[in-house]
Amino acid sequence: MKNSIQLSPKDMINAYLLFFVIHGAQVGVGIHGFQRVIYQDAKHDAWISVLLAGLATHIIAFCMIKTLEIYGSNDLYGIHQDVYGKRIGNFFNIVYILYCFVAFFSVLRNYIEVIQTWIFPDLATWFLSATLILITIYAFTGGLRVIVGVSFFSIVLALWILPLLFVPLKFSSIDSLFPILETNVGSILKGAQSMTFTIIGFEILQIIYPFVKDKENVRKHVHLGLLFTTFVYLFIMFVSLTYYSEGKLTKTIWATLSLFSFISFPFMERFEFVAVCFWMLIILPNLCLYLWAACRGAKRVVKISGKKFVWIFSLLIFIGTLFVQSRTQINTINTQFGHIAFYIIFVYPIFLLFVTMLKKKYTSQKEQK
Amino acid sequence: MKIFKFYFILLFLPGILSGCVETNILDRVGLTTLVGYDAGTEEKIATTAVIREVNPEFQSNVEVVTTENETSKGNRMKANRKLSKKIMVGQMRVILFGEELAKDDLHFYIDTHLENASISNSLYLAVVEGETAPLLQYEYKNIDDIGQHIYRLIEQNVKQEHMISSSLHEIAHDFYMEGKDSAMPIIKREDDLIELTGIALFSGGKMVSTLPVEDSFYVKLVRDSFTSGIFETIIQKEDIPPNLMTGTASDMPVAFDAIRSKRVLKLVDPTTPEFDLQLKLKARLLEVYPDVNLGDPKVVEGIENAVSKNLSREISRVIAHSQNVQSDIFGFGEKYRSSVRNSNLTKEKWHEMYKNMKVNIKVEFDILRDGVFE
Repeated sequence: MKNSIQLSPKDMINAYLLFFVIHGAQVGVGIHGFQRVIYQDAKHDAWISVLLAGLATHIIAFCMIKTLEIYGSNDLYGIHQDVYGKRIGNFFNIVYILYCFVAFFSVLRNYIEVIQTWIFPDLATWFLSATLILITIYAFTGGLRVIVGVSFFSIVLALWILPLLFVPLKFSSIDSLFPILETNVGSILKGAQSMTFTIIGFEILQIIYPFVKDKENVRKHVHLGLLFTTFVYLFIMFVSLTYYSEGKLTKTIWATLSLFSFISFPFMERFEFVAVCFWMLIILPNLCLYLWAACRGAKRVVKISGKKFVWIFSLLIFIGTLFVQSRTQINTINTQFGHIAFYIIFVYPIFLLFVTMLKKKYTSQKEQK
Repeated sequence: MKIFKFYFILLFLPGILSGCVETNILDRVGLTTLVGYDAGTEEKIATTAVIREVNPEFQSNVEVVTTENETSKGNRMKANRKLSKKIMVGQMRVILFGEELAKDDLHFYIDTHLENASISNSLYLAVVEGETAPLLQYEYKNIDDIGQHIYRLIEQNVKQEHMISSSLHEIAHDFYMEGKDSAMPIIKREDDLIELTGIALFSGGKMVSTLPVEDSFYVKLVRDSFTSGIFETIIQKEDIPPNLMTGTASDMPVAFDAIRSKRVLKLVDPTTPEFDLQLKLKARLLEVYPDVNLGDPKVVEGIENAVSKNLSREISRVIAHSQNVQSDIFGFGEKYRSSVRNSNLTKEKWHEMYKNMKVNIKVEFDILRDGVFE
């Protein structure tokens, strides 16, 4: 197969780091308030939706790896060009770059919204977005290995937040979860679909794959990363369902952050302020990885240097954040993006696998003749 | 090197700029520690805020400001006009409601406080017998900071499980739950002291009735499991086992503290609805009058049975009272919702059913030990 990527070993990463990359790319701003969205569809069976969504990620990741294995060492952009030809392939590539752009934008804008609501209502949007974009660019210029390092530290340094979720448990009642499966299956599936916005990010695998040194271990670490994410989401969902009453959960915009608002220490009155600030570390891999993925794609489609692309990309994002101001606008973007992402991430990879397999069969038959 | 310098400067600029966010220096702000709401005479809401002004040189100053306006934020602005320091609400610990206001509807007040991110979910809510303004404005002899004092008063009693807990989270939780109603402590001024005098029962956002403070033990017992809390009860004459009758005393006061209590609630018949309420109490006997020999297992068993009987009678009285006023502060409705499939329970629907609810109470009371002297 043509246009595969050849890299020197010093640009490559070990497979076990994929665990951090996948988990780091998945967990971002969605986790702040996904409970409410899922609850609206699936009611108190929302945890089943989370479980189903988690299962779906495993299936999709399986398909993605299968597709990538056919090509050996190539990324999604190269596969597109090979399968559909240069023109149509590039069209798909541009769609994917746009997807990364919107994903980046939505993560950034949502986080700024959270900061403005919780801590600094007067802080200007442009200031926050400029700061965050600069940090992202800074990490980006370090190359992939730095970005992977950021993912690693963002997870390791944030692990201490998880045990804090046990604190709200003293106010929870298990009765809220019963009767199990009261909601009909359709609504639960719809809830699982609503998880899209929260659970996506693992598609980065399709871009990072050629950079992995020991490809035979990819499968294991990717699935471990996905499993960990599912576990974290499931745990938060359980805590939220039992901690909030039905009416309160539908009215709480950022249920996860509100969970923290009950935690207080003698030296620190309101813990969620720390959590909100600390979240910057958690969204940083999100931003870096989407920027990096978009850049990889742009380089494949047109001749452009990484530096140039980053500045154009950042400028567009920066202007974008200035236009989207209100909570309703952000909500609309999240919902629409979730819908589109569902097709790009959860439907398209299956189709792509099908097409590549057909193509492989076709070419191998041709070679035999 | 040049590029490094460029990024270095870029990264430091935000650092310097971020210092430009509005600062709140402790000396220059007034910390609202308590807010009391009353129904206004001219405008909708009358607020009385207890504001603590921290002064580095002198003792801190506590101001009590009463204003009237259409919204609570409007009241804050009005209060701001009366003070030299900017008012902040991040340290708010207690919200009080006048009785009249509580009987009207508290829905709006619960929502406004949930909405504001700078207000903590763990502050306490309580109802004041009469109006809040006179209670807060009174010049107490021994209380410097009335806001702090009421907070400590409620907190201390909640922590020791003498009073039901009424943090904003719990009130909102019950308020927004279909099968449960909220309950708050009631406070009242007694000369130079402030006292907890009872429990306010709510039906939706409206306060519908009260229970005397002595009943808070029973309410807590049925609401959730608990781990401490002293309690005194009087065993009536007919419950006292004959072998303990000493002849002179007619009733038998007993004081114990519940070391552990566990409640098990089961729905046995969804049509009535009928519940089985099983309470397991392990307690320490603190005081008993007249003198009985607690070394004798038979005597202990006798007391255990008498207390069990007594408890179940009192509990059914409290539950019956709450049924009369249609306020399910115990959360029977939540149990109903979680046991019956597709019940589509709403508050109104449950209140209708709650009136006819039947509860079979079974109390198992165990005396674990008494003191060091028999």
